[in-house]
Amino acid sequence: MNSGDAAGSSSGGSGDAGAPRRASRKPKYSKFTQQELPACKPILTPKWVISVFLLVGVIFVPIGVASLLASNKVVEIVDRYDDACVPSNVTNKLAYIQNSTISKTCRRTLKVPKDMKQPIFVYYQLNNFYQNHRRYVKSRNDQQLRDASKANETTLCDPEKTRDGMAIVPCGLIAWSTFNDTYTFQHNTNNLSIDKTDISWKSDRDHKFGSDVFPKNFQKGPLIGGKTLNESIPLSEQEDLIVWMRTAALPTFRKLYGRIYVDLKENDTITVTLDNNYNTYSFDGKKSLVLSTSTWLGGKNDFLGLAYLTVGGLCFFLAFAFTLLYLIKPRKLGDNNYLSWNRNSAGH
Amino acid sequence: MYALDPALRVNLLGLSLICHSVVCCRVSPLQKAQVTSLVRKGARKITLSIGDGANDVSMIQAAHVGIGISGQEGMQAVMASDFAIAQFRYLTDLLLVHGRWSYLRLCKVITYFFYKNLTFTLTQFWFTFQTGFSGQRFYDDWFQSLYNVIFTALPVIMVGLFDKDVSASLSKKYPQLYQEGIRNTFFKWKVIAVWGFFAFYQSIVFYYFTAAASQHGHGSSGKILGQWDVSTMAFTCVVVTVNLRLLMSCNSITRWHYFSVAGSIAAWFLFIFIYSAIMTSFDRQENVYFVIYVLMSTFFFYLTLILVPVIALFGDFLYLSLQRWLFPYDYQVVQEMHKDDPHEYSMIRLPERSHLSPEEARSYAISMLPRENSKHTGFAFDSPGYESFFASQQGVCVPHKPWDVARRASMKQQRQQPQRTGRS
Repeated sequence: MNSGDAAGSSSGGSGDAGAPRRASRKPKYSKFTQQELPACKPILTPKWVISVFLLVGVIFVPIGVASLLASNKVVEIVDRYDDACVPSNVTNKLAYIQNSTISKTCRRTLKVPKDMKQPIFVYYQLNNFYQNHRRYVKSRNDQQLRDASKANETTLCDPEKTRDGMAIVPCGLIAWSTFNDTYTFQHNTNNLSIDKTDISWKSDRDHKFGSDVFPKNFQKGPLIGGKTLNESIPLSEQEDLIVWMRTAALPTFRKLYGRIYVDLKENDTITVTLDNNYNTYSFDGKKSLVLSTSTWLGGKNDFLGLAYLTVGGLCFFLAFAFTLLYLIKPRKLGDNNYLSWNRNSAGH
Repeated sequence: MYALDPALRVNLLGLSLICHSVVCCRVSPLQKAQVTSLVRKGARKITLSIGDGANDVSMIQAAHVGIGISGQEGMQAVMASDFAIAQFRYLTDLLLVHGRWSYLRLCKVITYFFYKNLTFTLTQFWFTFQTGFSGQRFYDDWFQSLYNVIFTALPVIMVGLFDKDVSASLSKKYPQLYQEGIRNTFFKWKVIAVWGFFAFYQSIVFYYFTAAASQHGHGSSGKILGQWDVSTMAFTCVVVTVNLRLLMSCNSITRWHYFSVAGSIAAWFLFIFIYSAIMTSFDRQENVYFVIYVLMSTFFFYLTLILVPVIALFGDFLYLSLQRWLFPYDYQVVQEMHKDDPHEYSMIRLPERSHLSPEEARSYAISMLPRENSKHTGFAFDSPGYESFFASQQGVCVPHKPWDVARRASMKQQRQQPQRTGRS
């Protein structure tokens, strides 16, 4: 009899309390192993469905309104200049750009559409420039950028690794193609000063780009990709380079150029004197200059506000639609007739 | 052997399949195995055989599922079987309760696994369209490697262990629920297609909504986010959504579920806090140094973290509500029918204790704990008091046979001795 207890549960009731339960081979009872843990058994009743939709709607609509208001408060001026800044009689734009003897200075006039409060952020925007291309993203060497002793580390930096047998600092295509258009602003005949400090992330300046690493052997080749760096300024202070080296996620992107700490009034005229150096002509890229204010949310981006409002509105609509559904097609909860063996009396 | 003659076998099978049940008596062990193989190969159904003696071993091995009963006749059947039980009546539990739950859990775990990996991978796929098809990864290497290992692994194990659509007693009360497994309701192509569709939809939400919301400057410092910032944001949304989706598809949620889901999401945040705070000499590319701290200092992070999972789960929620209302599964109807029942674990009800002495109260309480109250002798097919399965389902109790009462009374006298002398 006792040999039959191998399967784990004893087959003989061993009487009540005082009996030799310790002699039983039954494993100790625990809620975990017997799968009797207390559990919440949620059921998606109409009450829950409608309350969830209403709750989401009630939370999302105000957030959407707040975000959209913040985005609408932002005043933004976007001016595309790469097509207008090349003289109209030039047919070969690439040759024009690569010719370093021609002056590329260009003047643009911007009109302020609404009052802009300081600080006003100056960005340059590039279109159709794939900073997220695989071979571009990997073309850098972070150790070289951080550490002066690792100046000869140029793995993965092809084709901008060495020039005349010496390592290029900073190596790689990303550094080589740094944006090099410059902008100066005049506001109603006053010169506006641009603050070009603190435009990059502090963590980059402190930890990714060394304060004892100096550019060396940079842009010395036959093809100039972009900006030439001052060899006496360490990399941690070359903020344009640092901003550029934070590769963008999408082919259309903006990067911070500087800040202006002057209030601008509606209908003011801003004159921009820019150097149209950067080559976007060989790949149909576009260059634009952007002046923008900023709110607690950031720059002009209606997307979050619109998404919240749309989802909130959709939830209210669905709460209403589901109420109709539950009224039009009522089903008693736990109705016996919906069991498939009761429903298909003719079937299986 | 005549009926199992190759010439007659097909007829026998055809006839047997028309019948509700077929009784073969006085068969030898070989014939038992032959009948089982005939049904298994001829009818192409899943076969189960159960037996308790050495003569059942070949039959147990011939079927798809072999169950051995350990008892008076020894352990040979048990050793040859896939499952061993102690009494024949435990077969009900094995099939209707544990077998059914096992099917449900397996389907849920497998479909969820495919869904979460599909979502994760398709998000990267949409990115390739905007990298000039160069093959740039969207996520950091370590995110990808640890996704299935740390950030989404434990909750699905919890579901596989504990998920129950209806309780054990209800499973036995409604044995027709077993048909769900026979009809393969939870693992049809249609079910998988629905999961696949929502994985596709969610991946679009994760990629495009995060990318669109991250454009232009953020916060009052006007800084622009780069590629690794956007991808960390998207990955955070993926981990949060995929874990919450699991909770939505559970039928019973224990506190282990909550711990594992919260723990997985917390593990992600812990990982990214540590990973983006260190810079080692082994870093190859521009790593995600400091990314999460900068992200968490913008309102964009919190707004996107609320918006994107809600939109992603929106489609699933809509589908689940409509499905439950318009095309409910049987187990869902049974759940609703019994949703106000007290939970099984709170079934311990003591009578008023005033008239019981402390020892009596204690022994009563101990005797009320879940354990077997059985009058069985150990022979597999001996079921005193169970005349008919259907009668016991209806709650009709059969009067005890007089010889059975006498037998049990004589057994009770031997209770104090550790050894029973067997059937008297």
